[in-house]
Amino acid sequence: MVHLLETEKLTIRFGGLAAVNEVDLTVDHGETVGLIGPNGSGKTTFFNLLTGIYRPTEGSIRYAGENLVALPTFKIAKQGIARTFQNNRLFLNLSVLDNVLIGMHPHQDSNWFDAIFRRRYVEKEIEKGVEKGLELLSQFSEELASHCYQRAGDLPQADRRKVEICRALASNPKLLLLDEPSAGMSPAETEELMEDIRRVRQKVRGIGIIIIEHDMAVIREVADRVVVLNYGRKIAEGTFQEISSNELVLEAYLGREEKNAQA
Amino acid sequence: MRSRTLGRAILLIGVETIFFILFAAFMMTFDTMKIVLFILFFIGIGLLFTKWDRARHVLTNLFKELKIFASLWFVVLLLTVPFVFQSSPYLIHICVMAGLFAILALGLNFQLGSTNVVNFATAASYGIGAYASALLAVHFHISFWLGLLIGGSLASLFGLLLGIPCMKTKDYYLSLVTIAFGLIIYILLINFTWTGGPNGIPNIPPPSLLGHSFKDPIHLLGYQLPFQSNYYYLIFILVGGSLVVAHRLHHSRVGLTWNAIREDEIAARCHGIDVTWYKILAFCIDAFFGGVAGTVYSHYIGFISPENFAFIVSVVVVTMVILGGMDNVFGVIMGAILLTILPEKFRAFEDFRILIYGIIIITMLRFRPQGLFPQKMRIYKKNG
Repeated sequence: MVHLLETEKLTIRFGGLAAVNEVDLTVDHGETVGLIGPNGSGKTTFFNLLTGIYRPTEGSIRYAGENLVALPTFKIAKQGIARTFQNNRLFLNLSVLDNVLIGMHPHQDSNWFDAIFRRRYVEKEIEKGVEKGLELLSQFSEELASHCYQRAGDLPQADRRKVEICRALASNPKLLLLDEPSAGMSPAETEELMEDIRRVRQKVRGIGIIIIEHDMAVIREVADRVVVLNYGRKIAEGTFQEISSNELVLEAYLGREEKNAQA
Repeated sequence: MRSRTLGRAILLIGVETIFFILFAAFMMTFDTMKIVLFILFFIGIGLLFTKWDRARHVLTNLFKELKIFASLWFVVLLLTVPFVFQSSPYLIHICVMAGLFAILALGLNFQLGSTNVVNFATAASYGIGAYASALLAVHFHISFWLGLLIGGSLASLFGLLLGIPCMKTKDYYLSLVTIAFGLIIYILLINFTWTGGPNGIPNIPPPSLLGHSFKDPIHLLGYQLPFQSNYYYLIFILVGGSLVVAHRLHHSRVGLTWNAIREDEIAARCHGIDVTWYKILAFCIDAFFGGVAGTVYSHYIGFISPENFAFIVSVVVVTMVILGGMDNVFGVIMGAILLTILPEKFRAFEDFRILIYGIIIITMLRFRPQGLFPQKMRIYKKNG
């Protein structure tokens, strides 16, 4: 069976440093994979490789059976891979709704000629987009939907995260990459976030998700399978239970006390 | 209900007409002291308007409710300009130049305002349009109207040629490439013999429409309007057209995409936006506007030389966009009008012109980077 996403020996070296080193990872349709590891273990770099921001030194990325390596970022996005960012990158001076509308860019098709000469067509496209955008927003928060003309930069952190997820979902992705969505959130907000992710999985059938998280409660709740990176290498893979008792993982997070003491 | 609307319409006409009369009076003042007083008065009104919320609220609502009526009356007032300035062609000339610069600024706004591509090659596309149509008219007797299209398209093609190497660079480096391009065009115009070298091209024929040459005065309703009025009405239509195009692009997927690139290029890419193509598109559309303005200019003045398309022209247009308001179509036009009229009014201080542009750019970027009229959020019909 063809995996939704399959990386094989994916590697990128910056000078002598292999930030991501021979990582094999698969995601199936409808599966949520947690990607964890200490700071600097190459998780975000892995996302940047998947989205084409960096070009891998070695290895392959196959998405729905097609090779993604060497495709420019925007084409990868058009294939149905959407992402959020660690320090979210909303279009701050645009309204909430405009942010979500830009998410729909990949399957809208009006061009400059339509914009100038075929006003009807463009208006219809916008109308459809607005309707879909408001629906998406109201699924996450009615308040956001009713304040959809607010400047995105004026929103609190938790709401920005929601808008960012909406923007990513607006492109009808088959694979969603979430980069530390709970960063800077209160426990209550994190709780809400988990609820949101569960809802996404319910509503968008067959969507694959990779989620980078430091909050293990989130990973335990939402991830079907967990992959652990350390120094760019995959050191463990399995269910949350398996991972949490894996010695290599504990070592990576807590350090090896005895040996350190001896050395 | 009907009488209330009527009352509001009269109020609207009153407000617009008073402003128009003030503007006309200002234009006809030549005494420096009085000009300064006028400007202080306008600034005072502007400040009062920002502070006095109630008045602002009433007026903006008024304009919103009777939008079509307000713009119609505004158009009527603008059409009377040649009648008002009938006895002083110089004032009409200033208005024509203001219109030309408005087109240039609207074009640049696609890049500087919408996409944050700081392009200093406006003068180049302006010059290419002017030279192309002038050469075609002088040597091949190609009519102005066809020249308008050719000038615009040719400038657009050069915009494309400029855009491709620019895409290999970013930010300041991109600006440097555009500056270099502008200089290359300028130097080439001086050194080519077939463009007339430093002497330029004289005797460019004026356009004519339905047998009426644009060099002749207009006779209308018993008035004789100076020949500049021909160009005033031409520019009026062209600015109107540019305004519609700019507005439509802004309120479309293209405008939104440009804004996304301005805000965050990497995020834009990750949402499927072909950044390179959209930037080049902005280059081409900007250059088309520049080419059209250049064509009108060359046929209007009847004589062009490389000096008309020097680097400083680009700087002036950049200043107009920054002063007026990034990505606010109305603001950009206001910027162009202000920066065309004010230097004419302060002819006495012409030597300090460039210094003043510098001061304007620095003050605006420091204290009001969004410009006099900031960009507004797009509001869509539903759920308004």
